[in-house]
Amino acid sequence: MEINEDGIEEHSDQELVKRIYSDTEKYQIFNKEFMPHIDAMYNFAYRLTNDEDDANDLIQDTYLKAFRFINSFQEGTNAKAWLFRILKNSFINDYRKKSKEPSKVDYQEVETVYNSVEDAEFESTTDLRLESVQDMIGDEVALALNGLPIDFRTVIILCDIEGFTYEEMAKILDIPIGTVRSRLHRARNLLKEKLRSYAKSMGYKELR
Amino acid sequence: MTSSTNAEIKKEKCENHQECMKLIQAVLDGSASAIEMEHFKNNIEQCTPCIEGFELEKSIKDSLHNKVEKKCCPTSTIQQLKLKLGITALFIVGVLFEFNAVFCN
Repeated sequence: MEINEDGIEEHSDQELVKRIYSDTEKYQIFNKEFMPHIDAMYNFAYRLTNDEDDANDLIQDTYLKAFRFINSFQEGTNAKAWLFRILKNSFINDYRKKSKEPSKVDYQEVETVYNSVEDAEFESTTDLRLESVQDMIGDEVALALNGLPIDFRTVIILCDIEGFTYEEMAKILDIPIGTVRSRLHRARNLLKEKLRSYAKSMGYKELR
Repeated sequence: MTSSTNAEIKKEKCENHQECMKLIQAVLDGSASAIEMEHFKNNIEQCTPCIEGFELEKSIKDSLHNKVEKKCCPTSTIQQLKLKLGITALFIVGVLFEFNAVFCN
């Protein structure tokens, strides 16, 4: 079994013998297993690109790829995670370069920085008050989320908005579970920092 | 949230707070192991920074899940996609083909 450039596991001819769908089966799988996730997929695409047109293009590309490689999907398995993986890889390969988002930061670079300053960062995030978060409206939380570098934003979307488990996220992102865990931790520290700054600027309840 | 033998005394400072927060997040995310869950249950009430950390993390997680708008895929995008795949026409053809196979053989 090999992984192609779209992150889709391609099976050898011998493996494919077990799983070649007829055209009717393909359309049935597509309608029954893929289409129910299109709203969640669009939401993910929109949160990644911050642009409706890009999200539309990304969704269409992802579903067309999913259909093209449908023989690599085993009916009855986790279709949502399989589709999210294709979308994430399509975004990285095709959209990240041309995204309209102004500043893109390489994950490795960010991770290195936050590994080195984690203790200092923690000190600055402890003064975010519970009440400030509870008082915030959705747009304010979304703004803070959008301000995160893409790799940190991705893990928070997958975990907190879409409710994927660490195991599913590890498969979608193609990283070990331990990395999922530590990346989430750093992403949340960064998000708390954004929320704290936002709460302060908006005059929410006094910080401790 | 490091272990303490005296449950009545709450610690005001957590000496290993970053690791505790990773554990707390795993618990909230439903991805903690049985051993981690046990450690969490046995120790969370004894550490004030960990209790506050738990409540703050839970609040942020709830806000992300419940307050942030979930965008729905526009109907026009779904229609375009189906057109590109010829999904409606081909699905009907497929069904007719199967119908013929069943009733004409």
